Amino acid sequence: MLTVALQQGINGLVFGSLYVLVALGLTLIYGVLVQINFAHADVVTIGAFAAYFFTFAFGGNYLVSIAVALVIGGALGWLINAAIFAPLRERGSELLPLIATIGVSILLQNAMLIWFGPIPYPFDSPYSNEVIRLWGGTFITWQNLIIIVVSTLTIALLYAFMKFTFMGKALRAVAQDRETAALMGINPSQLIMLTFVIASALAGMGGAMLGPILVLTPFAGTTVIVKAFAIVIIGGFGNVEGTIIAGLLVGLIESYTTQLVNPGLIDIVVFSLLLLMLAFRPTGLIAEKREENV
Amino acid sequence: MTNHRAVLFLGVAVIAGLGAVDAASAQDKVIKIGGLFPMSGPGAYFGAQDKQGIELALEQINKAGVNGYKFEIHYEDSGCSPLPATQAAKRLIEQYKPHVIIGEECSDATLAAMPLMEQAKVPFLNAGSSSIKVTDPGNPWTFRIMPNEVMQGVDIATNAYKRLNARTAVLLYENTNAGIGNAKVFNDTFTAAGGKILADIGFGRDVNDFTAIATRIGGVGKVDVIPTYTLEGQGLRITQALAQAGVTKGGGGQAIQLGTIWLPFGFEQKAGKAALGYVRIVQFDPLDKREVVSNFVQSFKAKFNQDPTHINAHAFDQILVIADTVQRGATDAQSIRDRMAETKNFSGVTGSVEFDKHNQNTKMDTIHYMETQPDLSWKPLGWN
Amino acid sequence: MSNLNNEALAGPLARIRLSRRSWFLIAALAIAVTPLVFQDSYWRTNLIICALNVMLAIGLDFILGYAGQLNLGHSAFYGIGAYASTLLIMQLGVPFWAAFVLAMALAGVAGMALSIFAVRLRGHYLAIASLGFAVIVHQVLINWISLTQGPLGIYAIRPPPPIALPGLPVISFGNPANMFYLVAGFALLFYLLLQQLVRSPIGDTLTAIREDEVSAASLGINFTVWKVFAFGVGSAIAGAAGAFYAAFVGTLVPDAFIITESFTILAMVIVGGMGTLIGPVWGAILLTLLPEMLRGFGDLRLVLYGLALTLVVLFMPGGIVQAAHILRARLGRLLVRPPTGAAQP
Repeated sequence: MLTVALQQGINGLVFGSLYVLVALGLTLIYGVLVQINFAHADVVTIGAFAAYFFTFAFGGNYLVSIAVALVIGGALGWLINAAIFAPLRERGSELLPLIATIGVSILLQNAMLIWFGPIPYPFDSPYSNEVIRLWGGTFITWQNLIIIVVSTLTIALLYAFMKFTFMGKALRAVAQDRETAALMGINPSQLIMLTFVIASALAGMGGAMLGPILVLTPFAGTTVIVKAFAIVIIGGFGNVEGTIIAGLLVGLIESYTTQLVNPGLIDIVVFSLLLLMLAFRPTGLIAEKREENV
Repeated sequence: MTNHRAVLFLGVAVIAGLGAVDAASAQDKVIKIGGLFPMSGPGAYFGAQDKQGIELALEQINKAGVNGYKFEIHYEDSGCSPLPATQAAKRLIEQYKPHVIIGEECSDATLAAMPLMEQAKVPFLNAGSSSIKVTDPGNPWTFRIMPNEVMQGVDIATNAYKRLNARTAVLLYENTNAGIGNAKVFNDTFTAAGGKILADIGFGRDVNDFTAIATRIGGVGKVDVIPTYTLEGQGLRITQALAQAGVTKGGGGQAIQLGTIWLPFGFEQKAGKAALGYVRIVQFDPLDKREVVSNFVQSFKAKFNQDPTHINAHAFDQILVIADTVQRGATDAQSIRDRMAETKNFSGVTGSVEFDKHNQNTKMDTIHYMETQPDLSWKPLGWN
Repeated sequence: MSNLNNEALAGPLARIRLSRRSWFLIAALAIAVTPLVFQDSYWRTNLIICALNVMLAIGLDFILGYAGQLNLGHSAFYGIGAYASTLLIMQLGVPFWAAFVLAMALAGVAGMALSIFAVRLRGHYLAIASLGFAVIVHQVLINWISLTQGPLGIYAIRPPPPIALPGLPVISFGNPANMFYLVAGFALLFYLLLQQLVRSPIGDTLTAIREDEVSAASLGINFTVWKVFAFGVGSAIAGAAGAFYAAFVGTLVPDAFIITESFTILAMVIVGGMGTLIGPVWGAILLTLLPEMLRGFGDLRLVLYGLALTLVVLFMPGGIVQAAHILRARLGRLLVRPPTGAAQP
């Protein structure tokens, strides 16, 4: 019994850390731009495909492909910001950039459908089936271990970056008050671009690690993204610590719901939690004061 | 108003023209076959293999034709799912106007399309869907040559109990008609024989990671068999996850996965050693001594340079069954339906065909059990 | 705007302005004639789907464009309407039109419930809340198999019962032309209803709320009531579309109401012109028929779809309506010769 509970905990943390990677990108973008990027899901998918082709078409090393996906993700983020968010920033509308990203998302998904086809790709990394037996009868695959290690390292690096470096502090300044930050000599546009690149790089990396776990089709990213949105809200829009906690929490909810009830109910549980949070604590798990412009 | 009248006139002229073309081709005595198969989505591998079998069959019978008739086919993608199947069936019926339709593979899709065939009075020949609902209510226009879930399920559960000495089982299935139906039959038969079901786990087609499910199965106690009803994509993940969790033989455990025709050849190659010990029913034995089988295997290999699978064989037989009705005098939808119901003494690649009053084929002479070996090949178990 | 432009508009185009009644007649005529032009059952199917999308788009526009509520979950009400009416008819034997009304009511109530729940939420929070609601509805439809059959689907759903008027041949709705008349007729009806609402004081109230909620509150407007009202109306119309959808397609599965459907409807509203009533109509027609006309391009059609949406938002946020105005202004300038004296700076 304990073994099962422990194992489900491990399973939950593995998935949770992947969710955190994807959700962090969303939360960073929101923090700095107060915008939702629906095309984030497709960056994840493209990251997965990039890793797949690097590994199988070019015969590259899977671990290297994660880095490749990171770079491609970052590049895509640069593109999306330059093409969509930067031009629309002046208009000051809440809705338009969101809808533009919906358009980009539809475009990307269907472009992928044309290039890659509707038939699922069998993406197996050399690590997905190698098992490490742990204590108490629990186990973890090398793939899962890689996920946890890479995610944790990345998140820690990001956290340190945000808290201790000048760039990171500048980013947080822009998030808090763009105008004042500009007065202080910080160039908001550059920082916003940096945010996008980082966020999308994280998404691409997440995709590369998700690829061997998911069924790889052009729609693979969408299965993750809606949950990522829930995590961002539960954790608090723009709040990095909250997102990390919420992501891990959702991962754990997934595995324990499967264990105790039925995998089909996962989404219902997660989104009911989301609605509850919105009803009683809209600012998220770790309430950070955000002044809403009146 | 003038514009509308012009368009109307043009439209009428075009339609009249088409009618003339249609009349001309009717002189060439063609039997039009509609093909309702999944070409996209999780069941796409079915459609690809069906096409191969059909192509081979058409090539062979069109050499000489049957009673002066040639056969042609037109496909529509039904996506292994009720809604796209409904739309594809409508397009097929309204635009191609076939004399007979073959398909689908997935029960949900077949069930959704059936009422449309009945309404249009076009016979619908199925060789891939197992749900009992396809034939049980008794639709005079739907025929099935493959054994249904009751025929297969009772057989597999009984054999699991008797030959594998299984006393505990975990049911693992996708939430579709076929998945739920097959699981239920196994459940009823197995428990009636004295076995115990330790867990009953249904999942949606959107579940990707089965580690949590495999963990759960690992925790319910000693499991002897795991009947699994799912398509290839999820099937792969399940088999791997079960091995990782040490539940099945492929992972050092002792449970045996049981399955039916859902998983194609090549599954073992993709799953790797995780698939060790998998036992499944196939309705096609390439080593069968009958001439129709050896001819089929030879010509298939010659044409496609690969070994035929049971999906290829089923599709091939569907064409043969239709050709058989034409041989006995069928010329249009109604007569194809009537001759088909009377089919007797027909021996195809997947066995004999004779329909009961619900148009279900009752002959099960080529049901075989195969077990996956350590070298990933199949060994016949000789149970039937 | 120089005097030149005003004159240009005032000139010949002023005479082209038609009365509301004339537009109504033109619309009715267009509806009447279309099935005669398109005799092909394939195109008639598309027309019916067009009419359904028009219904969905104008309903969403009322919530989004007029009441300013960021609703990303419109597909939920579509689905509720479809399943409610189908289950009432097939499980409880309720006659079609009674089930239709009940389905509308249920969808409307669901919309109001979501609105009440979200009454304090603004902007993106409301967007995510509505999205979450749509996901929950979709998942419930999938998982409550004993009620909805889930992914197994409900099939052999019958079209609305034939109508036998005295002296006329029986109108059967198995005939796609008749089904089109029915659906398009209702779409027109709902359009007129919304038009009335928009032009009434209620419309002004909603605009006030949309533009500036805080100021509206200071004027004593109880914006909660009106937000809920708008949501209720918009979602009830979506429910009606759902009932027609089920009766027309004949097979019902939860995935027809997946959340990406909401985005498709949203696209129609934006591309057509949010906050105008006629805009979504054009958006729905264009975005329904365009992919079908591009069917020869295969999956490229949806790429173009996404591209169109993105470009419209970037360059023409007012959608087709804005484009039409610009076109009209340019045309007007072409038709009028400038006055001999130069315009004053």
